Amino acid sequence: MASNQEATKTAPAEHEPAPILQQMGIFAGVLFVSSLISPLFPKSFPVPTPVIGLVLMYVLLASHIVKLYQVEKMADFLISLIAFLFVPSGIQMANSLNVFTDNGALSGVMLIVTIILATIILLVVIAYTTAGFMAISRKVFHKTTDIQ
Amino acid sequence: MTWVNFFGNALDPKVGGMAFFGIFLSLAVFLIGKYLFKISNGFFLFQPLFVGMVLGIFILWLMAKWFGVSLPTFYQSAYKPGGDILFWFLNPATIAFAIPLYRRNDVVKKFWLEIILSLIVGMVISLFIIYYVSKLLGLNNTMIASMLSQAATTAIAMPISGAVGGIPAVTAMACIINAVLIYALADFLIKIFKLNSDPVGAGLGLGTAGHTVGSAKAVQLGSIQGAMASIAVVVISIVVDIVVPPFAHMMGLF
Repeated sequence: MASNQEATKTAPAEHEPAPILQQMGIFAGVLFVSSLISPLFPKSFPVPTPVIGLVLMYVLLASHIVKLYQVEKMADFLISLIAFLFVPSGIQMANSLNVFTDNGALSGVMLIVTIILATIILLVVIAYTTAGFMAISRKVFHKTTDIQ
Repeated sequence: MTWVNFFGNALDPKVGGMAFFGIFLSLAVFLIGKYLFKISNGFFLFQPLFVGMVLGIFILWLMAKWFGVSLPTFYQSAYKPGGDILFWFLNPATIAFAIPLYRRNDVVKKFWLEIILSLIVGMVISLFIIYYVSKLLGLNNTMIASMLSQAATTAIAMPISGAVGGIPAVTAMACIINAVLIYALADFLIKIFKLNSDPVGAGLGLGTAGHTVGSAKAVQLGSIQGAMASIAVVVISIVVDIVVPPFAHMMGLF
């Protein structure tokens, strides 16, 4: 039973999820094809394999070549694992902690403060900018922005 | 055979030891984090990812001391082989975000122009603010250049950072801290900045500031947020590709 059916206008009716190996096969295939496309981009405009893969998977779904029930279970599982899969990236900082101490302790602290502020700035500025553009759509172009 | 071998030839500086230790340590520290998070009733500093990162580095540091090698050396030979295996799974996990995105294709079709404009304009505004905040805090030009591309996914942020005169390793670290921070603080930040009134904006913000980890958080908040965060991860990376080099040039960073 595919979950989250309330939101899927485009999805077919309830369908048994595809066997897990088949789902893995689709993921592996999309990643492999993406890894062939990625090197075609110029060095000054890098587009890594997983970003191409995300777009490719979306295109496959939107064009109904791949059905939601064929990838949904695997996708939900992988997304639920993201925080854990990021642990090696976090621990990887052990390899380069020196960037914080190279120019003295004070500049290291300032660097961390800047990164923390930058994170908050990105979140808040993007969210407020979006709210602004939504307001313009609503007031100037009379487009309804109510979504469920 | 010494017991050191149990740690994947920890004293051997060449890379390519056994992967078992790295995988076990990653799971152990994350599960400890999950347990602490549960018994502390969700105290934000006990977010499993944050605990896992700090505790993992601390354990590696202790062991490196114990074996009398430097932390980077110990990390490379003992942890990295296992860590890399887990790290690889971020590839399929990233493309998995196409699914929450497609589930809310109705929102994408309706607001694609607003989404793209918001991300481009929002990114440019953020770049100016980040630039002047960094300057105010006394960062030198190399460090400022390293701060500009952090909204992109690491694989894009690092080469762009290098191209505009920054240090790719610093940018990679910024990307990691972004993700850990957003995962820990998203609920709090959304509350104090009242971002939840606009689910599209909240989703785009989370995907931009927190990368795929922010998107995973957004998926928990709702289907619209999840879909918008997924699209932000892709579009913002492309925006950074295009916008950051001319911005850095204009500011005279390289």
